[in-house]
Amino acid sequence: MNGNPASFDDADLHAYADGCLAPGRVDTFEAALQVDPALAARVAEIRAQSAALRAALDAIVTEPIPERLIQAAAGPVRGRSRSRWPRWLASAVAVAATLLLGIGVGWYGRTIDLEHEGTPTSFARQAAFAHALYAADVNRPVEIWAADEKRLVTWLTKRLGLAVHAPDLNNLGYALVGGRLVAGNEQPTALFMYENAGKQRLSLQVRRDTDSHGETAFRYAVEKGVGVFYWIDQDCSYAISGVLDRNQLLSIAHVVYGQLAALDAAPR
Amino acid sequence: MLRSTPETAPLPHPDLLAAIPRLRRYARVLTGDSTRADDLVQDTLARAWEKRRLWQAGTDLRAWLFTIMHNIYVNQLAVARREGVTISLDSEGAHAAWQLPVRANQVDRVELLELVAQMGRLPTDQREVLLLAAVEEMHYDEIAATLDVPMGTVMSRLSRARARLRRLVDEPASPLRVVK
Repeated sequence: MNGNPASFDDADLHAYADGCLAPGRVDTFEAALQVDPALAARVAEIRAQSAALRAALDAIVTEPIPERLIQAAAGPVRGRSRSRWPRWLASAVAVAATLLLGIGVGWYGRTIDLEHEGTPTSFARQAAFAHALYAADVNRPVEIWAADEKRLVTWLTKRLGLAVHAPDLNNLGYALVGGRLVAGNEQPTALFMYENAGKQRLSLQVRRDTDSHGETAFRYAVEKGVGVFYWIDQDCSYAISGVLDRNQLLSIAHVVYGQLAALDAAPR
Repeated sequence: MLRSTPETAPLPHPDLLAAIPRLRRYARVLTGDSTRADDLVQDTLARAWEKRRLWQAGTDLRAWLFTIMHNIYVNQLAVARREGVTISLDSEGAHAAWQLPVRANQVDRVELLELVAQMGRLPTDQREVLLLAAVEEMHYDEIAATLDVPMGTVMSRLSRARARLRRLVDEPASPLRVVK
């Protein structure tokens, strides 16, 4: 060893690896790293362990927040009446909270996953293309308009061979425009189009996915400027697409997921 | 209409909501069980509302919530010990019950599950410090304040936690790993 590692103890090593070493000592420590590969290796090892722990535990922060915790955050029932937020708003904020966190905490990892996890990529890509194609169509973005929602849902349900629902996104400022059927690789896909007051459009696409097993976390992809969050839940693949930032899109995905889960739980 | 009035809601509601995901993660690592974890988070939020006058606006709400959660959990452990109930994450059952949603397709899923499972075998005080430093990326002085221990204690626990976790992962006790 050429340096003088003895002048640094174990605590310094960890503090440096965690970015907590006193600023005045960082330069000296880094000089020691240059000449002491063993010390550098220990720093790398500590950081790798931390990164692995974050990778292992990050999934928890992007889970939907249970309703009872949203309620608990609103405070005790007594005295809540005057200040309490409307429920949907509290939910939306909670969702946004999950998302913001996702960004802070290694959320970048998720886009990369797409490349590694081949399977649903094509669905995400198709969803983005279908969205780009129909959302840009000012006059005829859908085959059946929202005024005929019942007929739309019945028709898509029949064509897909599974019960589909158009989630209500009015609380997020998006009204249903209507829907259409889209050709997919193997399965027809139902597309619901939504629009906000600023004419920003987003689409929810659903198709049957019998090869899937159980459910997946939300995944994110960007295709030609269209952001897509997609996931699989109980034999169905879902994709939310829009030219929105990742945060907004993910918050919408959470709301959609929550509504569909609630529908599943309710007796039909 | 949406504005909170100081008398009824001195805690900033959006900040409370924003803290929930991280509280859940911390609780999950403490308890190793998703239901117990959410119970702990719920207790923490309820306690925060009860003690809301103790929170000073402008200070770090998240750190304050972590402190509350830490205190509740340590209390629960003490009560359990007094009543002769063992809450041990070292036991096989608890160990196997670690419910952590490591993504199914994650390439290094097995390694990550193993790492988290072994983390569950660390003593609570070490696990807390490791989680706050490595996962929450809190500064050491914040950790010391959160857990109400001296900074030197934070650093020595952290160092022991990391060394021990490394040993556990390198030489797993699980008989399954003996197979070559």
